[in-house]
Amino acid sequence: MPSHPLRVAVVCSSNQNRSMEAHNILSKRGFDVRSFGTGTHVKLPGPAPDKPNVYDFKTTYEQMYSDLVRKDKELYTQNGILHMLERNKRIKTRPERFQSCKDQFDLVITCEERVYDQVLEELNSREQETYQPVHVINVDIQDNHEEATLGAFLICELCQCIQHTDDMENEIDELLQEFEEKSSRPFLHTVCFY
Amino acid sequence: MASGSERTGVASQFFAGTEDAAIDMTTSEKVVDLLNQAAFMSTDDKLIALKQVQELIINKDPSLLDNFLDEMIAFQTDKSIEVRKFVIGFIEEACKRDSELLLKLIANLNMLNQCFSPWQKTLAVCGVGVTPAVFDSLRQWLVRSKSVSDMQEACWDMVTQMKGDVLALLDSDNDGVRTHAIKFTEALIITLSARTPSSEIPKKQEGDISLDKIPKDHSYIRYDVLAEEGKSALEQLLKFMVHPAISSINLTTALGSLATLARQRPMFMSEVVQAYETLHANLPPTLAKSQVSSVRKNLKLHLVAVLRHPSSLDYHSQISTLLLDLGMAQGDIARCVPTSAPTRKRPRHEPYNEGKRIKMEPTLIEDDEDKEEPAPVVAPKPSSSMGTQSAIDITAEFLLPLLSPENVANLVLISMVYLPDIMPASFQATYTPVESAGTEAQIKHLARLMATQMTAAGLGPVMRAYEKGEAAGDEAASKDPIIIRKVSAVSLGQAISVVGAYKSQVAEETPHAKKLPEPIMPSAQPKVLGSSGRKKVFRLADVVQPLSDSHLEKLTNMAVKRILQSEKAIARSGMSHVRVKLLARLMTQFEGTMKDDMLRFILEDIRGRSDLAFSLLYQEYNQHLDQLPSGSLDSYEHCLFTLLSGLQERPEQRDGLFTKLVLEAPLITQSALEVIRRYCEDESRVYLGMTTLKELILKRPSRQFQYLHVLLDLSSHEKEKVRSTALTFIKRMYEKDHLRDYIEKFALNYMQLLVHPNPPSLLFGVGEDTEVASPWTEETVRQCLYLYLSLLPLNHRLVHELAAVYTEAIADIKRSVLRVIEQPIRGMGMNSPDLLLLVENCPKGAETLVTRCLHILTDKVPPSPDLVERVRDLYHKRVPDVRFLIPVINGLEKKEVIQALPKLIKLNPIVVKEVFNRLLGTQHSEGSSSMSPLTPGELLIALHNIDSTKCDMKSIIKATNLCFGEKNVYTSEVLAVVMQQLMEQNPLPMLLMRTVIQSLTMYPRLGGFVMNVLSRLILKQVWKYPKVWEGFVKCCQRTKPQSYSVLLQLPPSQLAGVFERCPEMREPLLQHVRSFTPHQQAHIPSSIMAILEVNSRMQESQPEPEHMDTMEEREVKNSTQLNLWICIQCTK
Repeated sequence: MPSHPLRVAVVCSSNQNRSMEAHNILSKRGFDVRSFGTGTHVKLPGPAPDKPNVYDFKTTYEQMYSDLVRKDKELYTQNGILHMLERNKRIKTRPERFQSCKDQFDLVITCEERVYDQVLEELNSREQETYQPVHVINVDIQDNHEEATLGAFLICELCQCIQHTDDMENEIDELLQEFEEKSSRPFLHTVCFY
Repeated sequence: MASGSERTGVASQFFAGTEDAAIDMTTSEKVVDLLNQAAFMSTDDKLIALKQVQELIINKDPSLLDNFLDEMIAFQTDKSIEVRKFVIGFIEEACKRDSELLLKLIANLNMLNQCFSPWQKTLAVCGVGVTPAVFDSLRQWLVRSKSVSDMQEACWDMVTQMKGDVLALLDSDNDGVRTHAIKFTEALIITLSARTPSSEIPKKQEGDISLDKIPKDHSYIRYDVLAEEGKSALEQLLKFMVHPAISSINLTTALGSLATLARQRPMFMSEVVQAYETLHANLPPTLAKSQVSSVRKNLKLHLVAVLRHPSSLDYHSQISTLLLDLGMAQGDIARCVPTSAPTRKRPRHEPYNEGKRIKMEPTLIEDDEDKEEPAPVVAPKPSSSMGTQSAIDITAEFLLPLLSPENVANLVLISMVYLPDIMPASFQATYTPVESAGTEAQIKHLARLMATQMTAAGLGPVMRAYEKGEAAGDEAASKDPIIIRKVSAVSLGQAISVVGAYKSQVAEETPHAKKLPEPIMPSAQPKVLGSSGRKKVFRLADVVQPLSDSHLEKLTNMAVKRILQSEKAIARSGMSHVRVKLLARLMTQFEGTMKDDMLRFILEDIRGRSDLAFSLLYQEYNQHLDQLPSGSLDSYEHCLFTLLSGLQERPEQRDGLFTKLVLEAPLITQSALEVIRRYCEDESRVYLGMTTLKELILKRPSRQFQYLHVLLDLSSHEKEKVRSTALTFIKRMYEKDHLRDYIEKFALNYMQLLVHPNPPSLLFGVGEDTEVASPWTEETVRQCLYLYLSLLPLNHRLVHELAAVYTEAIADIKRSVLRVIEQPIRGMGMNSPDLLLLVENCPKGAETLVTRCLHILTDKVPPSPDLVERVRDLYHKRVPDVRFLIPVINGLEKKEVIQALPKLIKLNPIVVKEVFNRLLGTQHSEGSSSMSPLTPGELLIALHNIDSTKCDMKSIIKATNLCFGEKNVYTSEVLAVVMQQLMEQNPLPMLLMRTVIQSLTMYPRLGGFVMNVLSRLILKQVWKYPKVWEGFVKCCQRTKPQSYSVLLQLPPSQLAGVFERCPEMREPLLQHVRSFTPHQQAHIPSSIMAILEVNSRMQESQPEPEHMDTMEEREVKNSTQLNLWICIQCTK
């Protein structure tokens, strides 16, 4: 068992729902966790599917919250967006973009394949320095509140299993296979180096 | 002491110390303090403290490093793995700071690695992670120091040993350790190979050591040995990668490492691409489904990264193919290709690449075929990869014809035995049904896949040739098995494992076979590796012999023929465009009969093979452009010419392919133009041909005059249909301003030929230069005029040119010209200002022409006042030829006509007849005669009144005869009026009585009227006009007995004169008088009676002339009464 707690990053596209849900749960379980988005903007559902609310990553959850309250409190209360932002702002002030973070992790968990690709691309485009490995695992989660919650628990379980391995590097392959079978979901997995 | 609060204190102290000068503690003191504390701390705290120390002595004050080195190293014996790991990290950092230290520390490092790696995996992992950096420092240091001490030598040996140890870890049974070993290998290869200009160099590693920084004459480090080491490390890595039981993690790591290698050391590009290709075709069967997709994703990612590197240019086709297989869109691939790179690929590979890429597009032919051929997985021979590339190509080509349905079926049956019980995940993930099975393209692909496997296994014609040292013969292939079986049992075993059968055998004992990776050394390997360590570099030139020229040609011919013949099969697969392109490109590169064969082939079914024709044509033209400015057009011209001639000679052909070919050909050469001309000359296709020509003229402005010239030439063609069509087209084109001049000039030039005494050779065909001395014929004259005459109605100005030519031409030509101009002149109409101008100017010598024009113009319609005016002017002022007046005679005034009459009637009788026709309106049926200035009566009167000094009587008589000839016009009424009027004239016209007699002859019933006339003439003393008197007597003579009463009215002397002329009249007249009633007889003067009765009495009557006069008057009165009576008698 590694001496230091696993440094985990949970990444979705806007760092709002899926990654934050996982962030919430993982941090409660004592993981060294951070969450990110890979999109160029933060997008939240708007009044119509083709009219999302778009913010940049500098906007705080608080600002988004008040913006949405001003726009249509009723609607955003009903679809749970305000509730989500409420939770998010308790966790951290603003969404973070994965590409802008140069910190190192042991494990990066992504929430959809596209995000996985973006993370891989980002990691591979960086110059290698330390040869420290980082495992990137994709867990497909649909972008809604219920799936996010379920997905967060799955991620949490996965992290706990990994945390409890004696030799993560050696066992992760097998572990993921088992997990795949158990959850009957396919995981994409790769290793990158810092 | 080691409490949490203490720690915080230390930490804060430390931080305070760096910023706050108030707490005055030297760095050295702080370090001592920290080290002391650390010795007694728990592992976690200890690590924090030690990290602080490291920070202080390495970064803050490096001078302290030496002092505290031993103290730090002392922690290597710490019980905690974490601490020891830290020590390794510390050593790394220290060495980076001061490479001299390595000498001291290397042993420690080695010791740490030595004692930990076998059992303490984690630490080993860590050590591996660190080592490349250490290694780098060491080498940097070694390079810099010129003199080599024993110590350094020993150190170097130790490093080398360590390196070996780490490389051995590739075979570790710990997945993670292997992962790190891979990374280490990567770093090692990069260090042990030279940087090249196209290397991608990460910024932070700019100063890192690499082989190129090691002087070649270094006393201890041998450049070439190191390079070899680097290569062998790469080989190990590649070998590791194709291990059938490699874990997903290791594989992804290795893929990443290869990508890094390819980018940083482009000289390994081919090996890397090759490895990727091999991997893609042989995904380890042990991978689970999701792992397969992970690996594929990784493969894609790294391929894209490699693709972006400029040095991958030569491998783009392979990479693209792989990426397509991996599900990347063509567009995305194209976007990854560096834009700065020139897009041209190596020309030699081009056709193949082209075909292959296109082939991959419509259907992703998956690598299920390789299951059919249990080819062993063997590490590719990296250093000979260029040779391998070609070897694959050669083997693929070699296999292609052998892949008959029969052979393939056999292969499938044989390999059934080797199939695993369970479908491997990799197969499942990548399998898609083969849609285009059996097509040429798919067979090619299959051949290539097999070739890849076989080449990897060291099989195939190239390998055999390599062994035997001779080229693969053509006939050997057909009768002998292609594969030389030198596959050892080991490689057979591997072959099975490729498809997973191996797994199924061992699955019961070890469900996860990947845990027991056994490095496999294929038997084919040693040959390549060589015992000496020097690899024999594969070079294609060493193993093949050039074919003899004739053999080469034969093979080429056969190959091309096959492609040609495979038309239907390829069409079925939807790949015809590839075939077309291929053929076109091939053809243009070969000379000789092959081209003709191909053209013949195209012409056999030109409709179906038109795309091929076009493709070929364009390719030829392209070839020509490539060779500019020196290149000749011959090849292109030949191609175009043959195609067009072929089309032209075909009897049935209506789909406009000829037109299409002509219009789409990039260039129309002279010979092609000849064909077009021939096409136009074909009466059945003249319209299509000319339409094509017209399109050419209009759409190819740069050479339009050349094309136009052909069309113009055709305008004097001997075939009427060709000519008239050409003229129609030219007329249409004449409306275009930019063509007008040219056409006009041509027409005029042609007409100008008429001034030559003999027709120039030009008229008898292009080729004949010899002057033909034959005379002008109607035909040749016409030939010169067709075009001109058809233009004339469009541009009246041209008429003057005709006049100019006309004056110079010989009489024969003049006649012909006069004959042919009728139509165009009529087309111009008499209102044409130019025509009027011509009439006005009437060049000398062109009078006949002008006259002819006038005739033509007035033939059907009366002349316009304008025209009349011009003619009149001409007549009066310049050419007093009365013939000019004829055409416009109806436009002249009465006076003028009468004036001209004497001259007119003197002309040729035919002309006179025409004049009369015009004047009498008898030539045309319309009522235009009313336009005549003279009524028929007036005309006749005018004729009578012609001054006999101006015209001889004979002509006048002839003219009057003409009038009498027109019975329809000169009816009895008209004649009666004429006679009436003539009679009233004074003096009496000379021909009066002639006319009277003539009229009477024509209309006998005019007798009564004539009697009346005669009576009146008596009153006018007709005897005073000898000629008329003569006629009078004649008339009386003719009209007896009617004329008796008239005679009786004559004065006696005149009556006597009558009897003198005609004595035979006396007796009948006497009888006539005697038959009168006595009352009537009483009215006869006695003098008359005397003359009647006795000849002797004539003398008696003479002496009383005065009496005679009175007598006469009385008698005339009487006779009038009598006359009236006669008239009444007559009408009864």
